[in-house]
This record gives sequence, C-alpha cells and structure tokens, in this order.
Amino acid sequence: MNSINDRSRYIGEFVPAADDDMLICRCEEITKGEIRKAVHDGMFTLTEIRRYLRTGMGLCQGQTCAKLVKGIVARELGVSPAELEPVTSRAPMRPTEMKVLGKEVKEEE
Amino acid sequence: MANTADVIVIGGGVIGCATAYYLTKKGCSVLVLEGSDHIGNGGSSRNGGGVRQSGRDPRELPLAMYGIKNLWPTLSEELEVDCEYHQDGNLRLGKTPKHLEILQGLTDRAVACGLDVKMIDGDEVRRINPYLSNEVIGASWCPTDGHANPLTTTLGYYKTARKLGAHFITGEKVVELRKVRGILKQVVTANGNIYEADTIVLAAGLASRAIAGTIGIDIPMQSALLEALVTEAEPKMFDQMLGTAEADFYGHQTKHGSFVFGGSSGLEGFNKDNGTPICSSITASCICRGIMKYFPILEDAKIVRTWAGWMDLCADKVPVISKVEEVPGLVLACGFSGHGFGIAPAVGEQLARLIVDGTTDVDLTPLRYDRFKAKI
Amino acid sequence: MKRYDLIIVGAGPSGLSAGIEAAKKGLKVVVFDENAKPGGQLFKQIHKFFGSKEHKAKIRGFRIGEELLQEANDAGVEVVLNATVTGMYQDKEIIVRISDEMHHYKGDAIIIATGASENMVTFPGWTLPGVIGAGAAQTMMNLHGVKPGNKILMLGSGNVGLVVSFQLMQCGCDVVALVDAAPKVGGYGVHAAKVARTGVPFYLSHTIVKAEGEDHVTGVTIAEVDEKFQFIPGTEKHFDVDTICLAVGLSPMSQLLKMAGCVMEDNPKKGGQVPICDEYGETSIPGVFVAGDVSGIEEASSAMIEGRIAGVAAAKYLGYMDETELKGKVTELEHALESLRQGMFAPKNRGKAIEETEEGIAISKNLLKHGFVADDEIERFPGVTHKAGIHPVMECTQNIPCNPCQDACPKHCIKIGEKITSLPAVDESVDCIGCGMCVASCSGQAIFLVDETYEEGYATVTLPYEFLPLPEKGEKGTALDRSGKEVCEAEIVDIKTSKAFDKTNLLTMKVPADMVMKARFYKRA
Repeated sequence: MNSINDRSRYIGEFVPAADDDMLICRCEEITKGEIRKAVHDGMFTLTEIRRYLRTGMGLCQGQTCAKLVKGIVARELGVSPAELEPVTSRAPMRPTEMKVLGKEVKEEE
Repeated sequence: MANTADVIVIGGGVIGCATAYYLTKKGCSVLVLEGSDHIGNGGSSRNGGGVRQSGRDPRELPLAMYGIKNLWPTLSEELEVDCEYHQDGNLRLGKTPKHLEILQGLTDRAVACGLDVKMIDGDEVRRINPYLSNEVIGASWCPTDGHANPLTTTLGYYKTARKLGAHFITGEKVVELRKVRGILKQVVTANGNIYEADTIVLAAGLASRAIAGTIGIDIPMQSALLEALVTEAEPKMFDQMLGTAEADFYGHQTKHGSFVFGGSSGLEGFNKDNGTPICSSITASCICRGIMKYFPILEDAKIVRTWAGWMDLCADKVPVISKVEEVPGLVLACGFSGHGFGIAPAVGEQLARLIVDGTTDVDLTPLRYDRFKAKI
Repeated sequence: MKRYDLIIVGAGPSGLSAGIEAAKKGLKVVVFDENAKPGGQLFKQIHKFFGSKEHKAKIRGFRIGEELLQEANDAGVEVVLNATVTGMYQDKEIIVRISDEMHHYKGDAIIIATGASENMVTFPGWTLPGVIGAGAAQTMMNLHGVKPGNKILMLGSGNVGLVVSFQLMQCGCDVVALVDAAPKVGGYGVHAAKVARTGVPFYLSHTIVKAEGEDHVTGVTIAEVDEKFQFIPGTEKHFDVDTICLAVGLSPMSQLLKMAGCVMEDNPKKGGQVPICDEYGETSIPGVFVAGDVSGIEEASSAMIEGRIAGVAAAKYLGYMDETELKGKVTELEHALESLRQGMFAPKNRGKAIEETEEGIAISKNLLKHGFVADDEIERFPGVTHKAGIHPVMECTQNIPCNPCQDACPKHCIKIGEKITSLPAVDESVDCIGCGMCVASCSGQAIFLVDETYEEGYATVTLPYEFLPLPEKGEKGTALDRSGKEVCEAEIVDIKTSKAFDKTNLLTMKVPADMVMKARFYKRA
C-alpha cells in the first residue's frame, strides 16, 4: 500500500501483438490490446485500468477477468502480479434490483 | 528522479491533473505528488459526473459557465480520451410546493448571473424526460448543463499531462510545506523525500487542511461521506443530468447505458468510517427508494456497485481557489464541497493562467482563502 | 436489528463444520448460503475422499455433505438457503438478500466461508460457447444431471482436472485429451493413472493454441510449449471436440472481507487475495474469522478442519469457552490438519521438484509426464509384490496423506504405519483371502488383486470399476495397460458388488499370464 510509484519511469514502447484483439473482460468487451495500451497511457494500477477501461465493472464484477487483467498489466510493467493490488470490492456482491435493494427488513429479536 | 520543478501540484485528483495539464501546456515543468496509490482516487472518481451551472452559488457560477463555454465542448479531442461529455440540459426536480420554492430561489439567483435557466411545470418536465413519474410537479431547467465521465476525464487529464512531460508520483503523501530562508520552497513527504519548487499548488481535497496548516494557513472544511451507486447497462433512455430540490438523488445515464446515481441518507455528516470510505449499510437502499419515486420504471434495474467518497466540505460550501499572498508561492485549490468535477477544467486552466500570466479570465476574488469571517 | 452470536457465510464444508462446533458450545448460529442446496462443492464430489478415518477418507464427497448437514441439524445450526450475503459493513453487520427483500443482521462474531471461484485462461476462441470451467461441468453433470458435452478436451492436470475428467467419462463423455502447460502432472498420480489407463492421452508441456468454431466450439488445436511457455512451431495437434473444459485453478472469493476492511494480502501460494489471519482464522477485524478456500485454496478435508477451528475460536471469542478448552481443541484439530498437510503435495512443497519418495524411492518420471507409471518403474514400489495365489498389488507411488487401505484388510496384510503419507507395503507373511476390501477402499483406485497362477497360462486381475453398465460375467473384451493401450483379450470371470464397496465394483478379468503386470483396465467390446 502507498508505495512510491514514479509514473514517468520507462516501461518500454507499446508493441502491437497478434493477440491484441482477444477479449479479456467479457462483460464489458475489453481487449488485451486496450489493456496493454492503457498501461502505456500511464495506467499503472489495476484500479486505474478499471476506471479507464471499465474492465471488471460489468455484471460479474471482475470475477472472471480480474486475474487475467492483473497478469497482462504485470507483464506490461515488468513486475510480478502479486505486486499489483487488486481493486476494491464493492457491495452488492451480486447484482440486485433497485426494488429489492430498496426493500429493507430489520427483524426484531 | 528530478525533485525540482517549476510547479509542484499536491494532489492527483481531477483538479491537480487538470492544473498540471494546463501548466505543462504553457511550458512549465510540473511535478504532481499523489498520496494514495491511484490517480483520481478521491472525489474525482466517486462523483456523479454533473457538469452543471444551475444550482451553483453565484461565487463559483462564473467558473462553471466559463468551462462549459470554452473547455468542455472540445475536451475529448484535446485529451484524446472519451470524456463522454453531454450537453443536454439539467432538470432539478420538485415534488412539493416547498421544493418549487427552493428551485425558484436557485433559479432567480442564476438568472441574475446571466444563466439561461427557467422553471417549468410537470407536463413540460415529462416532455423533456417522459420516464419521470407524476409525482414530479415541476423543475428548474437549464438546457446548457450536462454531464461527463469523471473517471475518463480525470485519467484523460493525467494521461495527456504525463505525455506532455508532467511528472507524476503516486504513493507519495505530502506531510509538510517548508520555507527555505523565509520563502516557501519545499514539500516534504511521509517517505522522507523533499521536493522543491517556487510555486506549490495545494489541491489535495480534505487533506489540504492539514498540509496548509504546516505553513500556518487554515481552510475551514470538514468531511462528509457521500455515497453513489451504478446500475447494469440499460437501454438508452435519456441524456439529461438530473438533480432534485430535496437532494435525495442526482445522476444520469452514462454512454455505457448504466445509470450513475448519487444520494444521501441524511446522515452524511455523521457517518462513521473505518479509515477507508466505506459505505454505510443503509444509504444505498435509501437512494434506491428515492430514485424509484421519480423513476418507477427503473425498479428492475440491477445495482451492480455502491461506493462512498469523502467531500471536502468548506464552511460556506464553495471552494477556495486562491493565491496566498502572505505565503508567496502557495496556491490553494481545495474545499470543492462535492461539486468540483464540473468546474475542474476551468479551475485548472485559470490556475495555470494565474500562475504563469498572473491574471485570470474569471474573477476568482470571491473564492479567496481569507474570506471566512466571524458572524458578528 | 436481529442479532446472532455467530453468523456464518457459506454452507460448504468449512462453514457447516464451523457452525457445528460453535452450536455444540451453545452459540446461536445461523449459516447463510446463496445456493438452493447446502454443502458447497461437496455435493458435486462423487469420488471417494483421501485421508484417514478421522478425515472421512474413502467416503464419497456428497455423503460427507449429507453427514455434515445431519450433524449441523442435530447441533441446532440454523441453515438459511437461497440467502445471498450482499455486503458486510461496520459493526459486524451483514445484509442478506432473501427472496425479494434485504435483511439486516448483526453477528457478535462472523465467519466467512465463501469458498473460491474458478480461474480462466485466454486463447483465441476462449469466449465461444462450449468453453467451460471444470467446476461448471461438475455442476452440470453431478447436480443437474446434464451431460456437459460429447467430445471434451480437458485443460489442467491438477486434481480438479483429473477428477472431473474421470467423472466426465463416467457420465458418458469422450475425453479426447488431458492437456497442461506445466511439464508434469499437477494432481495426485493415482488420479492421473485412473484416467490414463482408460486411454485418455496426456499432453504435458502443451497448451491450447485456439478454440475453433463460429458460434460454438467445434474443435481445438494444442501445441507444445518450451520452458518459457512459448509455442514450439510444428507441434500443433488438432482435436474435434464440442467442449473445452478448463481446470486451471481457483481463486478465493474474499470480496466480503475486503469490503469490510480486513487487511488483505495477495498470496500466490494461497491462490490469490486472502485476509491476513492468525492460527484460529481470525482476521484483522476482531471477531471476524475465515475458514476454507476463502483463506487459501486447499482440499475440502482441510476446509472442514479449518472450519472447526474457526468455530471453536468464535466460541472462545464470545466467552463460551475458556482459553484452556480452546487450546485443547485447537491442538487436536491442528494435529489433524497438520497430518493432512504432509507428503509431496503439502502446501509447503508447492512448486518444488520432488525426485524421491520419503522412502527414498525414485518417483516415476513417466507418471509425471504421461499420467501412468511405466512397466519398468512399477516394480520398485513397496506395494508391488509377487507371490503364488491371489494377492494385492498397490500401485501407490507418491506420498499422500491417506491410509484407509491399511484398515480395510481384514487380515492386516497392508501396512502403512504411523506416518499417514507412507507408501503402503504388503506383509507377505499373511495370506490374502481375495475379499477385495482393499481395492474398494482405495480412493485412488490404485489397488488391484492379481492371481498370477489362476490357471495354466492365465492370470486374473481384479480391478476397481466405476462405470455403468457393468459387463456381464463371461463377457469378452479387451484389457488395456496403464497407458490405455490395448494389450490382450480379457474375459470377465467375476463381478463383485457389495454395500461395503460403496459403489466401487470389482471386475475380475482373465488375461494371459504374461499380461498380469500390464493389464489394468477393461474395455468392453
């Protein structure tokens, strides 16, 4: 947490790859190339990638792609995936209709 | 790593990033220090995306009008990122005569400042937005207001400033401002690093108060934890920005199709936290109930996320955007009180003007740091 | 607001175990689970579990689930199903979606036992219908009775990949290949061997190049990879399949803990993001505990013990138990847990290249590379002996914590000893009566009875058989060797089924005498 991250450090140039058009985040239809490019645009954390591209913001909330995105970003930055902090978890853990979320019950003892 | 620059910006939120961008564009060397791990991690990524003039205090209204006229329309092209800016109007909704009274007051003040805003009745509201329930009996309508995507806008400013050469460091929490030979010069971080510049812009949200305090300046502000939520993508329904007289919710439908709504439970100023902006257990449900009164049609829309963020709530609810003459070199840009996003481009651009040219196009005098006085 | 002593999220093996221990101490316990049925993954597990008697070894997973549920009911644990915990907030408050309402509850203690979710890997075509997780395949066939596909390629040679491949074959699918990018089989050798001997080819150091098809999977191409996991040109192999099953690991579903503000760590050895917790499973938030896969990916057997530890720790936290009682209970449970975490697959050995067994015997290289022990390797293991008349041959060649075979033999001719991971050895001084109890007891289906002198020129091999329909006595088919290669004709001379065998049938096939140490599976004509 809160370790110094110099956003001007050189991470190499963006080099297009054959599998850049492969879908990674299925819910939001974000490709590997878009994720790699975002890293070169300066998005060095998974939180920034998510906010920039919407990866993991769809119905599954990143359940499927979180690890995949992490691996891609780590490789692009030349760090180990474990060094990248996963994004925040947010309620509701499962998508919930407004009329349901709005109907609260507080049972008595 | 260079530890000097022409200008050091403390805070990598939308205000800090926009200021860095416009300063860099003017040829300054800029160093941005962000305390958290992420750019735009505070209110910049947590707000409802409103780009409004209506409903604003007359002191900051000129900034809002300036930005909407001069900066927002071309921002996406300028930053080479889709800011999703829409200028399709703002409806501030009322359900009771009391609401209409509040709206009339806001409208009168804005008109006096030259803003095109008017009161409309329930039928006209539903002509503009047919999804609204019959509970809505009137609204203020400002056709030149709109909304944008706070995430891509903030990160777009960052991306472009960085590309132009602005130097950003995250995870570098500023703890002290320090003078050298009587002149403000140094910025000291929790990691023990010292950075130097002749001009220091303090745009660190709520944290600005403690940092300014180290150089003997106090900005009267406090925190309030606001909450927001987002639905799954829905078919395209409307483009307006929405708010209410009762302030029970606000928000819009995004380009993505999801609805982003903020709201309140009424306990914002008292919500307890655990050191992080954690949601309370009751607010999201309250927001949903609020929304459904206006938009019964959305009752089946699924909420996929809820989040919270701290506001830097200034004593008089408008920001401090100001040079500090008693501490030459210090520039304040904080206390945005929950409505900083829409004016961020204007603030950044005008601060760059102020720092480089020594003048501004918009009169910032009402937003001076020394405006706070005892009541008697 | 309604308050419980203990709220448990997740009614899988660890959650139920935790609830049982806490309720036994008098705590008012509720368990919420989003599924319609309790038991978590246990009810999908139709295979027999490894371990010792205390760990419910040789019991099939779903039966363990039934036993746990009964135990939970008896202890007075309230289990609420179709109840999704959507958030955990400050003051140990949770919100649960039940039907179309959101219920607020507080617990004086909370145990999160939400388990794990499946990992994915990407390759061109990975989003085509027909690419599914191995867990999903298991859910389809074992919970819903739906055949996941007809021709299937399995990616992943860990225990999940191996076990699910076997189950797919049991439900009538054709598993065309088992593929893993790693250079050696990741799961238990015995699980691999039972798949390999049915004829499924193993492709280690291979991975998927692409899934083929327009709107669903119609084929797959794999290729060999070098030590840097780069494809080696010219090594491509194509298979016509309609389904690709991915068994590439699990990730802890720790979102509730992160949301509530528990201090987390990203630990690849534990499968991903997990809360930092003490020996009792207590997180950085006092009174919030974790158990099972959510605290680090392991087996269901260890999840159950972790659950019990968290359950007693919660009881202590709320003053239902004193320090001495806690220490006593936990020492006992930790001892059991420790014994499960032994052997060459122990968490501490993950990623290590193990060359020899604890007994100093060289590991079968062929088993790691191809999924079966080669003919010239098998004789060096202590379970493999020769003598006149019927006797067991135990092709158990890796140190795993499992010993039911030792107790299974009424004549006590199988010895494992004190150390649960030791390879089984045969006490040749005792005569085997050919009852087959050991064959049915082996969760790895690695024990065979052979009679090298059945009749002139012929021997018999008795093997565990879990496919339907069963062959008929007198039926003639083909014997397959450990690699799944057809080696000779075989005649079924006996079929034994017994309640004690728990649905493992024993086939006795007659093969030419020189095939007795080769023939290990029976293929119907």
